Amino acid sequence: MLHFRITKRQEPLGAGGSCLVLLSALFLSLLLSGFLLFLRGTPPVDGLLTLFQGAFGTKWAIEDSILKAIPIFLCSLGVAVAFRLQIWNIGAEGQFALGAIGATWIALTFPDWPKAALLPAMIVAATVAGGAWGMIPAILRQRFKTNEIIVTLMMNYIAILFLQYLVYGIWKDPTSFGFPMTPEFSENAIVGKIGTTSINWGLAHCLVLGILVWGFFKYTRLGFELKACGDNVRAARYAGLPYDRLVVLVMVLSGALAGWAGFLEASATVNRLQPSIIVGYGYTAIVVAWLARLHPLSIGIASFLLAGLRVGVENLQLDLQVPAAFGGIIEGLILLTVLAGGLFTHYRIVRGKT
Amino acid sequence: MENQLPLIRLENISKSFGRVQANKDVTLEIMKGEILALLGENGAGKSTLMSILAGQLVPDTGTIYLGNKPVQLTTTDKAIAAGIGMVYQHFKLVNAMTVAENVFLGQKGGFWLNKQKMCRTVEQLAGQYGMTVDPRARIHDLSMGERQQVEILKLLHRKSTVLIFDEPTAVLTPSEADNLFDTMKIMVAKGKGIVFISHKLEEVMAAADNIAILRRGEIVDRVAAADVSSTAELAERMVGREVLLQVDKRVVEPHQSVLKVEELSGQQMKEINLEVRQGEILALVGVAGNGQKPLVEAICGLSKPLPGTVTLLGMEWRKFFKKGGWKNTLSYIPEDRQGLATCQGLDLLDNFLLTTRGGFSRGPWLKREEAREKANLLLEEFDIRPPDLTAFAWQLSGGNLQKMVLAREFYRKPRLIVAEQPTQGLDIAATEDVWNLLLQARNRAGILLVTGDLNEAFALSDRIGVMYNGRIVDTFRTDNKEKVEQIPQMMAGLAIS
Repeated sequence: MLHFRITKRQEPLGAGGSCLVLLSALFLSLLLSGFLLFLRGTPPVDGLLTLFQGAFGTKWAIEDSILKAIPIFLCSLGVAVAFRLQIWNIGAEGQFALGAIGATWIALTFPDWPKAALLPAMIVAATVAGGAWGMIPAILRQRFKTNEIIVTLMMNYIAILFLQYLVYGIWKDPTSFGFPMTPEFSENAIVGKIGTTSINWGLAHCLVLGILVWGFFKYTRLGFELKACGDNVRAARYAGLPYDRLVVLVMVLSGALAGWAGFLEASATVNRLQPSIIVGYGYTAIVVAWLARLHPLSIGIASFLLAGLRVGVENLQLDLQVPAAFGGIIEGLILLTVLAGGLFTHYRIVRGKT
Repeated sequence: MENQLPLIRLENISKSFGRVQANKDVTLEIMKGEILALLGENGAGKSTLMSILAGQLVPDTGTIYLGNKPVQLTTTDKAIAAGIGMVYQHFKLVNAMTVAENVFLGQKGGFWLNKQKMCRTVEQLAGQYGMTVDPRARIHDLSMGERQQVEILKLLHRKSTVLIFDEPTAVLTPSEADNLFDTMKIMVAKGKGIVFISHKLEEVMAAADNIAILRRGEIVDRVAAADVSSTAELAERMVGREVLLQVDKRVVEPHQSVLKVEELSGQQMKEINLEVRQGEILALVGVAGNGQKPLVEAICGLSKPLPGTVTLLGMEWRKFFKKGGWKNTLSYIPEDRQGLATCQGLDLLDNFLLTTRGGFSRGPWLKREEAREKANLLLEEFDIRPPDLTAFAWQLSGGNLQKMVLAREFYRKPRLIVAEQPTQGLDIAATEDVWNLLLQARNRAGILLVTGDLNEAFALSDRIGVMYNGRIVDTFRTDNKEKVEQIPQMMAGLAIS
């Protein structure tokens, strides 16, 4: 009888093979998405083409995708730092919200400061707020052995509600006709756009921070220590690494990067604080980090693709009346197929006789 | 012998891992009623060959015959069905369950369990093979020797005809080892075949009928144990050159105290006192699980010494580990190479940096290139295979990984060395190297050697401490003949005058 069996590879799959597996996984997820479209009566090929057209088809679409990729990238970079240490930080969403709150506080309190002082001060406030929000679960984990997945997740809700409390209450713009939003930031508190495009300078921040994170892991002693802790906690303790302190460090770093994303979103994209900046970038960031296997460059590419998905789905909604939640379904399918494809890194399937 | 069909016949088995050829054209027969010892240096391919037999690895080429029928052992289930069973070095037992339950675990049968009947079956089986383990006892109450009996009973109950033992005596007391060999003899008398892997040449000579020697993946020799005149001859056949396994132990004047443990208790330990001075080796002997592990962990900073005090290099425990430092301090060579001393998912360079990173840091930066040069020299000096810093730790054989750990730890020029079973799993040539290294290091360091191998303790130590049930029963100089003779009794916890 012919049958399939799974055998272990002696050497992990090479770069070319991995690429092929990734592309096949993406293709498979699109195939499944097409099938779902077909089920609800939408022509699948048209649907997917509309999606692509909406995401990457025009200059405007690409710019919008890049714009959305910026906060996803920074959140994902942060999440990936924690994941390296096998600390499962699900709280990028809340750390992002705190970053936006911190930046807004400076922007509203010192609106007249010159740009060169105000923007850095906003960044500091955002990263400190986001970092502190990340530090709390790390400390709870150490002191009371809480599970960081649950705590970071629950703290997301606290952060978002806190943000709402601020914009519905003390920070509410008196001239907003009752809409929950702060007054618009002063000109000096806004990160400008690059040339004539709609893309803001946040893209440059991403580039610099991405390179810094990459270099940190590759060239510094601390980066090496984090890598070792992530591989084997017992060996890390054996080598005298302060594991508990490193956990706090990565959670602060992780939160600070998400906080930076919150700053950019408030300052550059909406120019104020309002609840609508919370759209789930922090959760998409987790998907991105896994897809990219925690590597900064791959995180950049995956952020752009998943941001494109968000943009493209809007088009799909307008043209073919497919609900926007379909974007979430595709995102989930991509993650599932890519994770399943990870099997091929260490195993292969052989067809043979019993 | 020629007319008798072997139980299992391996024919032209080859297996490579990437560029490394672990087995090359191996042909081996396991006969009914034979104890076959498999000898070889580290990385000679013993483990690979046995994993192929146990169905864990599939050979690249070659055929395995069961009787005269070719079989494909692609899974462990198939190997078990074919009557091949393996007793692993690390036992695979459920600690909270009884002996009988463990023996029956995972076997097909009816839905209902009959505990009485299970116990009777196990008792009978044990009796037939001269084993004494109580089927109603729970695993966590058993000694290592008894646990091993349970492993053997599992295989016997499954009607295994070929039993493979991977370094079975590493965790046993001398008398437990003797019992094991008696059991083995009964098993072969009842028509089973046994393969056993060992690095202890004396026991190979004493227990085996035939000896097969692997070198660099090939069978280079197969002799009857009766035809080998001495362990030295056996060692020479194995390594391909003369090995004496004798080290030149000159007396070094002991200097200041580098380790002092006072009234350490808790976690299986009871009022432990010991001192190690620079220039001496203190060997702690005893069967594994008698408090050595918590003692070593407390000394090496993995757990707090409470209650009691530990002083290292003249500093109080907390202060010493707070100060840290990579050089001229403490080197710990743990027994658990895979889980504690190395990161399996990192390459050799990163693993080398694990404890030496302090020496290659400038400010926040890590000088990887500098480390690469040093580490490459060490790979050559210690003959670590493959000599490739980009290889991952999990790709190395146990012995080579140990050499890598030793190379790294000696590079740190320690003043206190805690070595836990440093030569376990090492072949005779590598063992000799390690012993010489430890003796050399003694000039500048004090060494605490925790070992289950008495020969190692005799060869190296200046003083010997015997551990039993969390206590150091006695400490004496290695040249104290009277005490040395009592060591086996002390290890077994028998009353000593």
